[in-house]
Amino acid sequence: MSDSKPELVFADLPQGRQFTPLRYEVTPTMVDEYLRVVGDHNPLYGDQAQKSGNRLAPPGLAAIYARLSYLQDNIMPSGGVLAGQEFSFRKPVSVGDVLTVRAEVMESYLDDKERKRVNFLITARDSKGDEVCLVRLYAIWPK
Amino acid sequence: MLKDYASGERLPEIKKDIDQKRIDGWAALSGDFNRLHVDPVYAGKTHFKGTIAHGPMSLAFLNELMMTCFGRAWARGGLLREVRFLAPIRPGDSIRIGGVVEQVTEQGSGRTLHCRLEISKPNLEKSAVTGLAEVTIDGAQA
Repeated sequence: MSDSKPELVFADLPQGRQFTPLRYEVTPTMVDEYLRVVGDHNPLYGDQAQKSGNRLAPPGLAAIYARLSYLQDNIMPSGGVLAGQEFSFRKPVSVGDVLTVRAEVMESYLDDKERKRVNFLITARDSKGDEVCLVRLYAIWPK
Repeated sequence: MLKDYASGERLPEIKKDIDQKRIDGWAALSGDFNRLHVDPVYAGKTHFKGTIAHGPMSLAFLNELMMTCFGRAWARGGLLREVRFLAPIRPGDSIRIGGVVEQVTEQGSGRTLHCRLEISKPNLEKSAVTGLAEVTIDGAQA
């Protein structure tokens, strides 16, 4: 990620802001690389399944760009705290699916200690428009 | 055939060795090249005193555990919540990913399992990562 991008600051994150959707295809190479890095050898994701035309992808691949979905044009200021997060997997993802990930600011406010709170909802949908994964991030923004 | 877990039962433990190569691989995969993860010189000057693994990589380990135990039921309806990163995971760490089924509730022909998950390090008394997970198994799947 280039440091020449501007920081994403609290003032850029009003409630209701929607970020440009991020689209990507779940390719065999991406799945293989994910499995290699994680060290996941579950046969559910094996090549054998691909021969039958329905190779399952790890569900985590639908959430891998959750953070990037709101940092496509910015960098994160240092010092923030991820106060909470939640992942809801709705539908299995298969190799070949094209996922669209969209981040939206659900809440943006100063709490009773004057901390900058930003709550995101990040939704990943497949080519049919079906939700495959919902991510909720609860952040304390640094500036 | 997936195992039919009961309340109080432990999930099988997964072990991982973390090194910088694995962290760099996650950076390339996720597009998160924050220097705290990939630049040992920079990270050495921060209060972490060295690089640390990306939080989402720990989530991938928790997902691996749940997919191993519950298969497609996790992919089609799993919920992972209240994830807490309590201690950084660093190159050189050998970690253990595990959990316990805390409660099983019956709903129609299905069962919902409520699990407490954790990632631990042998040299650390507290967990490095904790989280709660819920997964519903249909009667037909069991």
